[in-house]
Amino acid sequence: MALETERKTEAIFNSTPAQKQKDRILLLLRLVAFLATASATIVMALNKQTITLVVATIGNNPIKASLTAKFQHTPAFVLVLYSLLIPSLLHIYNDCACTFFVVANAQASFHNLLILVLEIVGHKIDFKGLRLAIIAILDMLIVVLAAAGDGAAVFMAELGKNGNSHARWNKICDKFQTFCDHGSGALIASFIGLILLLIINIISIAKLFKPKSYNTI
Amino acid sequence: MTKTRRIFTLLLRLLAMGATLAATIIMVTSHDSAEVLNLTFEAKYSNESTFKYFVIAEAVASGYSLIVLFISSKSLLRHLVMILDVVITTVLSSSVSAAMAIAHVGKKGNSHAGWLPICGLVHKFCNQVTGALIAGFIAAIIYLVLLLYTLHTVYI
Repeated sequence: MALETERKTEAIFNSTPAQKQKDRILLLLRLVAFLATASATIVMALNKQTITLVVATIGNNPIKASLTAKFQHTPAFVLVLYSLLIPSLLHIYNDCACTFFVVANAQASFHNLLILVLEIVGHKIDFKGLRLAIIAILDMLIVVLAAAGDGAAVFMAELGKNGNSHARWNKICDKFQTFCDHGSGALIASFIGLILLLIINIISIAKLFKPKSYNTI
Repeated sequence: MTKTRRIFTLLLRLLAMGATLAATIIMVTSHDSAEVLNLTFEAKYSNESTFKYFVIAEAVASGYSLIVLFISSKSLLRHLVMILDVVITTVLSSSVSAAMAIAHVGKKGNSHAGWLPICGLVHKFCNQVTGALIAGFIAAIIYLVLLLYTLHTVYI
């Protein structure tokens, strides 16, 4: 009974022109966030650079060795499963935080797409008055996951760019220029997506507070 | 909010404060040095920018927990507390993840980049960093549970 009145108040609450305008702005923000995280995923996943170095010279023939920089390939479904359960422990299973970054951003863009489709075409689907709550909770989980991926990747990138003299770790960005450039681009896109996602989440939570005061019918 | 819910929320916040405080303290007091071929190899948390970020994030989170303990659930600030909870959970999760990434490189090395593992040289430092990371991870999970629980009680 209470849920029926809640649904009715939600319907009344959501149909004023001002509310529709706000909903459209929210959809637009979510679309931009989806584009940002999707582009971050794609750029980092296709990030690869091979350079050849001359290692030694025997007589007249130089011996070349080629080094490749890319994010590690591991079986994708295992990664997705683990990152669904325990986000930060993913590092133990791979060499580079880049893989976790790619997976986290892939999940974030998938979530954005799903919620976009739901908002545009799924208004008739009945969630028993829990629509806002489900979206808010899912958004929160995805924000935490995407933030973890971003944090790990940005510090690994900083390590690659500046090295660490105390631990005798040399920087690698002077050799792999294109790799580092593409990586920074992907990171920037991912951060834009994260900030937009955080704003969307806060607006969704703020929306949750309001219907309570309208529910005095 | 009923009494059991209030007590449960208070308990979760106390636990979170304890975990973040423990993580900060353990990370700050970690240092070790080793002698390698006449060179002194000193490992401190402040040598790595990641661990500095971890310490700052956990310290801010523990201070925030302490302050929020004193805000009752009926006051006008409870909406702001909810939003700040989301932000703090995000920051905590990213700091733990970043520190874990760098600690993983320190423990296993990265053969592609030519970075050698340093855990074999400085055992005490590595163990303390691992302990701080575990405490930070527990704190992040407790904050997530707190967030979901607050949403559940507020909405329903």
